[in-house]
This record gives sequence, C-alpha cells and structure tokens, in this order.
Amino acid sequence: MNPAFLNKIKRNDRIARWVITIGGLAIIFSVIFILILIAKVSLPLFLSPDKDLYASFQLNADSAADKIVALGMDEYLETGYTIDQTGKFEFFSVVDGAVLDVEQIVSETGSSRLISAQSYGRLKHVLIWDDGSLTINQVSFFSSFDEKSNNHRTIRHRIEQLATFPAPAGDMPIQSLARVDEEGRRVRVDLFQDGTLQATVVEESESLFGDAELVETTQPLEVASTGHISAMSLSTAGDKLYAGTDQGEILRWDLSAGEKPVLEEVTQAFSDQREITALNMVFGDISLIVGDCQGGLTTWFPVRNTESGWKLTKIHTLRGHSQPIDYVSPTLHDKSVVSSAGDGMQLSHMTSERFLVGISPTEEKISRYALTTRGNGVITLSDNGRIVSWKLHIPHPEISLKTLFGKVWYEGYAEPTYSWQSSASTDDYEAKLSLTPLIFGTLKGTFYAMLFALPLAIFGAIYTSQFARPKFKGIIKPAVEVMAAVPTVIIGFLAALWLAPLIERSLGSMFLSLILIPAALMISIALWQAARKIETLKQIERGYEFLVIAPVLIMAVAIAIVLGSGLEHWLFDGDLKQWLFTETGTHYDPRNCIIIAFAMGFAVIPIIFTISEDALSNVPPSLKAASLALGASRWQTVWRVILPSASPGIFAGTMIGFGRAVGETMIVLMATGNTAIMDLSIFNGMRPLSANIAVEIPEAPVDGTLYRTLFLTAVILFVMTFIVNTVAEIVRQRLRAKYGRF
Amino acid sequence: MTATKIENPIIQVDDLKFYYPGNARALHGINLSFPEKQVTALIGPSGCGKSTLIRCFNRMNDLIDSCRVEGEIFLEGENIYGRRTDIIELRRKVGMVFQKSNPFPKSIYENVIYGLRIAGEKDKKLFDERVESSLKAAALWDEVKDRLQESALGLSGGQMQRLCIARAIAVNPKVILMDEPCSALDPKSTARVEETIKELRNDYTIIIVTHNMQQAARVSDFTAFLFEGNLIEFGVTDQLFVKPQNKQTEDYITGRFG
Repeated sequence: MNPAFLNKIKRNDRIARWVITIGGLAIIFSVIFILILIAKVSLPLFLSPDKDLYASFQLNADSAADKIVALGMDEYLETGYTIDQTGKFEFFSVVDGAVLDVEQIVSETGSSRLISAQSYGRLKHVLIWDDGSLTINQVSFFSSFDEKSNNHRTIRHRIEQLATFPAPAGDMPIQSLARVDEEGRRVRVDLFQDGTLQATVVEESESLFGDAELVETTQPLEVASTGHISAMSLSTAGDKLYAGTDQGEILRWDLSAGEKPVLEEVTQAFSDQREITALNMVFGDISLIVGDCQGGLTTWFPVRNTESGWKLTKIHTLRGHSQPIDYVSPTLHDKSVVSSAGDGMQLSHMTSERFLVGISPTEEKISRYALTTRGNGVITLSDNGRIVSWKLHIPHPEISLKTLFGKVWYEGYAEPTYSWQSSASTDDYEAKLSLTPLIFGTLKGTFYAMLFALPLAIFGAIYTSQFARPKFKGIIKPAVEVMAAVPTVIIGFLAALWLAPLIERSLGSMFLSLILIPAALMISIALWQAARKIETLKQIERGYEFLVIAPVLIMAVAIAIVLGSGLEHWLFDGDLKQWLFTETGTHYDPRNCIIIAFAMGFAVIPIIFTISEDALSNVPPSLKAASLALGASRWQTVWRVILPSASPGIFAGTMIGFGRAVGETMIVLMATGNTAIMDLSIFNGMRPLSANIAVEIPEAPVDGTLYRTLFLTAVILFVMTFIVNTVAEIVRQRLRAKYGRF
Repeated sequence: MTATKIENPIIQVDDLKFYYPGNARALHGINLSFPEKQVTALIGPSGCGKSTLIRCFNRMNDLIDSCRVEGEIFLEGENIYGRRTDIIELRRKVGMVFQKSNPFPKSIYENVIYGLRIAGEKDKKLFDERVESSLKAAALWDEVKDRLQESALGLSGGQMQRLCIARAIAVNPKVILMDEPCSALDPKSTARVEETIKELRNDYTIIIVTHNMQQAARVSDFTAFLFEGNLIEFGVTDQLFVKPQNKQTEDYITGRFG
C-alpha cells in the first residue's frame, strides 16, 4: 500500500479518536458542571449560622447599667439606644458609643421615673412608670441617602407614643402588660400582690348617633390555679393572654374584642410541676414559648381535641439552658426564638428545632439584649455596663434534614405532617418545606404512568416485531415514533382541558371499558378458535390479527360508553364520584392519576416502544428458527426465547421511559392539579418535584430559602435520575452477560 | 435420472415445486424417497435448492412470506402439506440442526429440555434422563456433564453444534434434518460431529445437506445430487461417488464445477 495513503488513514484514525474522546469528556464534564452549579445554589441551606463580634464599648459611669431598663438597635447596626429609669432615650453610635441624641420622655401623668420596661414588636416599648401608669413608645429609624456627599447614608430616628394607660385604681400592680392594636384598641393586664389578675380594655365604640366614644372596661380575670403566676405573655394584638405558674401550669385567657374575657384553659404543662419562668409568643402569635426553671425551652400551641376542645400541647422542644431561663422573646421576621439565662443567650428556630447561635458571657452576665428587626444583629448589655453588638449570619434557620424530609408539627395543625406550603400571604407564615410529598408525587405520577405505558408499549413492541406483517410494521413504528415528537405542552393541554372533563363526565364508562375490553378480547379469542377452522380466516393469523381485534376493541369501548351512565344510575345512584365519596370517603379530583397515566403514558410509550421493538427485532432469527423447529408455537418462542434475549434492551427502554416520566414537567404541571398531598389514591392528583420547580421558581426571591430549596429539589431530581440510570445500566449489563448476544 | 427404489420410505416427495416470493421457482418437481434409519446426503452447488428442499420437510419455509408449495410430501404416509397437518406436531417429528449453531441463551440443561418444556412436560426425572441420553447420543455428555447449569454460550463452536443436535434428539424425532451442520466448524470439531452422525443412524433417519463431498461420502448411506432445482441423481452413496450415472453428477463430484 502507498505509504502516504497509509499515513493518511492512520492520521484520520487518530483525529477520530481524539474528537470522540474530547466529545465524550466534554459531555461528562458539562453534566458534572451543571450538577455542581445546581448544588452550589442549594448548598448554603446547610451552612451553619455564624456570629461576628461587631463592636464593644463601656457605658459612661453616670448612665450606669442598673439604671437602664431597655435597649435597641437599627438594622444597619449603626445607631443604638438605651432607655434609662428616668425616661431618657439616649441614641449612640454602635461602633464607638458616641452619643448622638438624647430625648426625654415623661408619662401622661407627669411621672418621670420608670419601674421597668418591656419590649415587643418592632422596637415597641411598654414603659411602666412609678405611679402605675403605662405608655407604649415606638422607636423608628429612617435611612436617607445624601446625594451631595457620595450617597452617604444617614440614619434618622423618631420616638412615637402609641398609647397611654392611666394607673389602676387601688393597689400598685406587681406586674403589668400592655398592648395596642392597629385600630387603637388598648389592653392592659395587671397582676397584683394578692394573685388577682385584672384586664382593662379601652376601645372605641360608636354610639347610636354615630359619635365615636372611648369605652373603658375593667374586669377581674379568673385565676383557677394552685400556684402563683410566675410569667405572663400578651399577644401583639392584646387578644390572647397566657400565664405560667410556679406549679408548672399554663393558663390561657381570651381577651378578644367584643367579648367578655374568659379563662379558656388551665393545663398542667409539666408533670414535675417545675416553675415556668418565662413566657412569650412566637412571631405570628400562635405558638407560645415556654422557659422553665430547669432551663428547658419548649413551644406550645392549642390543638383541637375531640374531647376537650382546644388544648395546649407541647409541640417543639428546643435546646435548653443549664440555668433557669430568665427571658424568652421572638424574632421579628421568622419563627426563631431568643432565650436568655444565667449561662448566656441563644437563638433557636422553632420549626426546625435547630440551635442557631449562642452568646455566652465570658465574665460579665448579660442583663439586657435586643435583636434588630431583621434579625441580622444583636446588642447586649452586661451587668458591668458594657455594650456589645454582634452581627448574625443565619441564612436559612428553618431548614434542617427533619423539616425537609421528616414529619413536622406545624402551627395550627392537629398532628405532625409531611407538608409543602412554601408561602402564604402573610409574613408570619410558617413555611412548610417538606420535600417528601414532592418526591412521593414524582414517584406516584411515574408509577401510574408506567402502569399504563409499560404493558401497552412492550406488548405493542412484541406484536409489531414478532407477529405483524413487515408491511404494517413499516407503518406502525414510524407512527408511534411521531407520538414522541408531540410537544408535551400540547399533551398536557389536551389532558387538562379535554381529557380531564371527559373522564370526569364518563367515569362509569371508563371503568366499564376496563372490564369490557379484556372481556371482549377473551370472548373474541374463544370465538376465533371456532372460526380458524376456515382456511381463509386462518390466513389472518399470519400478521393480520389486529384487523379482527381493532373492531372488537372499538365495539367494547362503544358499548361501555352507551352503558356507562346507565350503570352509574343502576349501581351508584347516578353518580360514581358521589358514591365514591359517601361510601369510601374518596374524593374525586378532576385532575388525577387517571389523567396522568393517560397523558404521561402517551409521552412515555414511544420511547419504551421504540427501544423494545429494536431489541426484539435484533434477536437473531436463528434463535427464533431453532425454537420453531423444535415445535414451539409463536407465543412460546416469544416468551421463552425472544423476550429473554431482548430483555436487556427492553429493560433499558423501560428505564429510559422511567427517567423521562420522573423528569417530565409540562404534562404534570398542567394535568396534576399540583396538590402536594401524600395519598396513593388514583382519584387525586399530586405535585411532582419537576412541576414544583416550574410552579414556584418565578415566585422565589433569588437566594432566599425557597429559591435554594427549589434548587435542592433539582439536585434530588438529578440524583434520582442518576440512580435510576445507574441501576438500569448495571442490571442491563448483567442481563446482557446472561443472555449474551451473538 | 436413476430410480433407486426405496422400500418403505419414511419421507416421500412427489413432484414438489417450490416458489419463492415473486413466483421465483426454486424446485422444479422433485420426486425422491428417503429410507428410514439411514443417512441421506443432499449435495449440489450453491443455490441448487438443497436447503429449500430440506426446509420443506419441517415446513420451516412457512416463515417466508408469500412463498408457495406445489406437490406433496409424505411423512410416514401422511401428506405434511395437507389440511389436517399440525405444524407443531410435524416439527416435533422432524427435528432440525442449522448451519450456524444456535443454542438458546440458557443453561446447557435448559437447552436440551427446551423441546420437552414447550410440549408441557414437567417431569424432573424425565428431564434428567433425557439430558443424559441426548447428550450421550450427541457425544457431548463427557465434556459437559459437570457444568450442565452453565450457560450454553460458553461452549466451543463444535460443542454448541453437538448441543444443538442433542436438543433436536431430546424430543425423540423420527427424522433429523441437518443443514450444513459443519460448515462453520474447524476440522477437528467436524470430525466429532461426523462421528456423532454415524452413531445416530441406528436410531434416526438423518437428512444432511452438505457442500463437502468428502463429508457426504464419509457419513451418508444414500446421496442425492441436486442441480438448479432438479434432482439429477439419487443412489447409494458408494455407487454414486464411484460410478455416477449422470454426466452432471460426475462433473460435480470430480470438481469441475461447484
């Protein structure tokens, strides 16, 4: 051979090898790269929270620590303030403690000395004056940007008086709570030395003539307890009052507008009668945070109980302290809980029960603390008058493996559930981010789709490759392959808007045809045994069988349609759906698994059919001949020789179809109803992972918890298909080794 | 054409004409009788119709779409192209060994009893007996008796072909058709298969198609020479090879064409 030509051949060989190698590697790397990209977005979900010391300084001697009753800080960690016993608000720079501004507040009654102060909500302070009167003052911060000096940010502040309460008649209370709601309804609760409790409500009521007038009602509250009240909490709107006693009881009153205050419940919360030392309400005012004298930290809310109505139930147990808990408070943007005790303060998340950060004093005990409204910083005041501020990085406190995959007892639910409800209209919503119903939905949809598609596709492939005339095979195969080219949005559209109402209307007919079609097939086969004695009819057996079968099937369906409604009338009182609901408690969703089985089956059938058909057709004819020559019938040959030999290919087709069904988005998005429920019933829908991503990603704020969780579902989807494909490949290789090729 | 008279033939072919699709006639009226429990070789150049003829005996040609058969073939006096013929029954009586060995992708044991299984047989003891006797008859028993449950695909080419023979024997056929059984085998394997054929002639009627005239001379009792779809000569092998009656036969066996 010409050496130049030989070299050319060798060179082409080398080039081809390189191109193929590079191409293959490029594919592998791009797949890995995509996985890394997705995983990178979702990974911060699992980062542990962190705190940074931001600033620290010593207060002046004249504003000594014992005089300060409350403090606070803006969310930029620039301006902080303290409230001292003289009613003086002192604003200072958080970084160095330089005093920026001082404002003096006096009570309505002229008192200028504070006994104590409580903080709640967005920098709201209930100031309790020494004459028994109360004021609620709110500090607001405004940021403005000065264009002249390089867009420098300046923070301005304002103190607003939201409400005032006169002193109660008679004795001085030992503890007082007060709230004002958006409509101006003011609630004040006082605990007196003798253990009596009294609620004062001031609300506006319209008189007959349309004039608004303020009505004040003061009523004693029933205290049915053996112990002494040791902690109290009033909801933000002032409509729910909780009290804990030194005997481990929790009392619950309803102070809703327009109704007489009533003691609704007394619950022995702790059987060992430990003292409840701190109470507060979680953001949203549904759950109650309970701190006890043993350092235990739990959250509670009333759960409806068939016997006794609403009953306070312990829901979450958070990481506790080693010393009695002094104080508990909510954060203002999520369901986190702040608690402080002798051993320091810490932040935990209620839903995930995760311990987030803890700040333990080195030598100085923390006497007061305040969180910023966004929860990104905390400012603490120690016994010795040192003010320390911390920056908090708590990216996704509500995420833990348990909230993602386990059963969680959400606020307002009767029991722990797997639930996906990522968002609601209110800010204080407890996000329900369990992926279990989504994974379940994916598997459920895939299961029903495969249940429908697998037999049809595989038996269709067997018939086409082994029984049908080659002429028909030449028509059937391309026709089925064209099915794969139908855009899934069209399949989904038809399924949702045409098939779903159709099946809902004729559910009886559908089930009847499920019985009639096999029955008709059996009858026609029995009849055929007689008919095949005629030689010309026998010719049909050589690949024309479907000419006989197709009319039989059409007839069966037609009969089912005609008889369907009659059957529903006769057996199910006219409406199968109603009957299902009343007799079995099954609710019929118009978008259900039947629709999904048909629609997704339609999308999956071509893949399974084509690959299986190829595998069956590629079984060497010599095997078929050997089997037939031994006296096997066509069916025996298919069952015992062709199917086992083609099994690796059929299995591969099935798994590719399975992977397609798992990842299928458009059909399930349009035809499942997207209800994230965990119910195997064929009569209701589901929400698969893929559809969930499509539905929620437009609403998910970039880099938010939901956004990252959706990317996590993408990773799960990726891993699921990866596992399915890997297992499929392993099984396929084994089958291949067993039924080796010629 | 000579008339070697066969008494009590097991297969008798009467004026058999065979048409492939498109009315292409491959056999132009064959008249031939096959003696029982003898080895008959069909020889002839490529495309002469040997394989077509042999495939008529178990109606394997039925697999070909729109082919047509005229004339009659009698197996033990019954026309196998008659209306009543059950093809499955026929094929159980007329076994076949193919040119290329085609064991099923199953164990050696399962390969041998395949014919019994599809006939609905479930008796384990019978299976064991048949496997042993068939493999012994096919001279394979000693080589595989310790690995009956292993895949048949692990055997050598010659072993596979003898397994195919054993598989055909296992259902106790009357006739075994062999379509160039040694064409894909090396000389050593060929010799083993030929020995097997010689052993089998005591119990079975064997019809073997071969390209190899030495093989025909070695293994067969009778030989038929076909040429272009016609039977040219049929006779006792020794006579046909020593003293062919026909010029064409002589030309072929002396290697002037083929």
